Amino acid sequence: MRNFIDFLIKKSSWIWAILLTVVSLYLVFTQNSYQRSVYLTSANRVTGEIYKFSNQIESYIHMQRNNRQLLEENARLHNEVETLKSVLTGFATDSIYYGHAFANDTARPPQFDFIPATVVNKSISGVNNFLTLDKGLLDGVKSDMGVISQTGIVGVIFNVSDHFSVVIPVVNPKFRVSAKIKNSENSGSLGWSGPELNIAQLEQLPKHEPFRSGDTVVTSYSRIFPKDLVIGYTVSVAKSKDDNFNSFNIELASDFHSLQHVMIIRDRFFDEQRKLEESISIP
Amino acid sequence: MKVSMIFEIVLFVVLIAFQTTIFSRISVFGVATPILYVYFLIKLPIGRNVFYVITSGFLMGLIIDIFLNTPGMNAAATTIIAALRKPLLNVFFSRDDYEEFVPSIYSSTKSFVRFVIIITIMHQTLLFFIEAFTFFNLSYTIVRIFASSALTLVTIFALDGLMYRKSSGIQA
Repeated sequence: MRNFIDFLIKKSSWIWAILLTVVSLYLVFTQNSYQRSVYLTSANRVTGEIYKFSNQIESYIHMQRNNRQLLEENARLHNEVETLKSVLTGFATDSIYYGHAFANDTARPPQFDFIPATVVNKSISGVNNFLTLDKGLLDGVKSDMGVISQTGIVGVIFNVSDHFSVVIPVVNPKFRVSAKIKNSENSGSLGWSGPELNIAQLEQLPKHEPFRSGDTVVTSYSRIFPKDLVIGYTVSVAKSKDDNFNSFNIELASDFHSLQHVMIIRDRFFDEQRKLEESISIP
Repeated sequence: MKVSMIFEIVLFVVLIAFQTTIFSRISVFGVATPILYVYFLIKLPIGRNVFYVITSGFLMGLIIDIFLNTPGMNAAATTIIAALRKPLLNVFFSRDDYEEFVPSIYSSTKSFVRFVIIITIMHQTLLFFIEAFTFFNLSYTIVRIFASSALTLVTIFALDGLMYRKSSGIQA
């Protein structure tokens, strides 16, 4: 017994090291995948504020490019307004009163609305890629909401605190979304397995799906994203894991290196749809 | 003694701040990321209490994990390195070195360089293998380890070269 205690005292530093290693490995295997702990991620208040500060400095560097993008966006919206205006004038001059046709529709609020947010931190150098946004629970953000940029989809909200939220982006192996090539009816599954930051894979397409370079890839049936949102463009045929399916390499439309401003999609009927769908699966 | 303590705390905070806001965002050719915070363990005095080294290594890893959303990964790798620091020091530095002696590139170039190379490569190997546990293939992980180690080593030597001159009064 005495020898044993002597042994413990002599090796106590090693025991302490092993204990701490076990604690860390416990964190690796429990927290990383699905545990949604706010305290140990960048969604918490302290780390969020620090990142917000460093992002303020960083945003100056990207200001010129973002400014140009905003101008382009502005111009596009302006055009749209003009087009709609002319359509409206067309209606007004029409002798038939069109109000009845829209009466029922306008009573129902639009399904989607958007919360603008800024990226305050991003980790896109390795495997565990994520983004932190400056909007949280108090702004109406919940987990499982979709996130888009001006050019394409960005990811899904994974974890939310009062003021911040963490996004699992398309460029994370955990992210999967149902996608299809525009003008085709066959859905596949889009995922990213690295290492290039702008190339994802569209898998499980039927064998007869033809490949054309530059085709637009859009979302199909997804609970998180509206239909027909741009994801990216086809670049080449990828090696397929399974001979029965085709795989394409997709160049992502969102540029994760310079991403700064995003929109969070709020789906008014998300809970309603989920409830309805769950009622089928649960006996 | 007191001054060196302040120096350690400043180094601890500054390394975490730079690692999380700058270094971890660098990715040269998609493979090389400088992982510099291990420099803290290198710069502790040789005779420093082992418990102190292990605990501060663990805390450093954990704080970095919290910022990078990778709970446990950096903490595990850094704790193991902190525990192996003492045996490694015994290999590269002679035992009669002064207790408060801080390894640096000017004072003992040869053993310092070897010590830093070993400790950095071990740290990154642990880190990338813990990270790559489920994803990705072996060759990509190995390329990442060597590319990142090389970049980290260059940065550490450059930093040490600068630091020693600026703070020679404090450390000596």
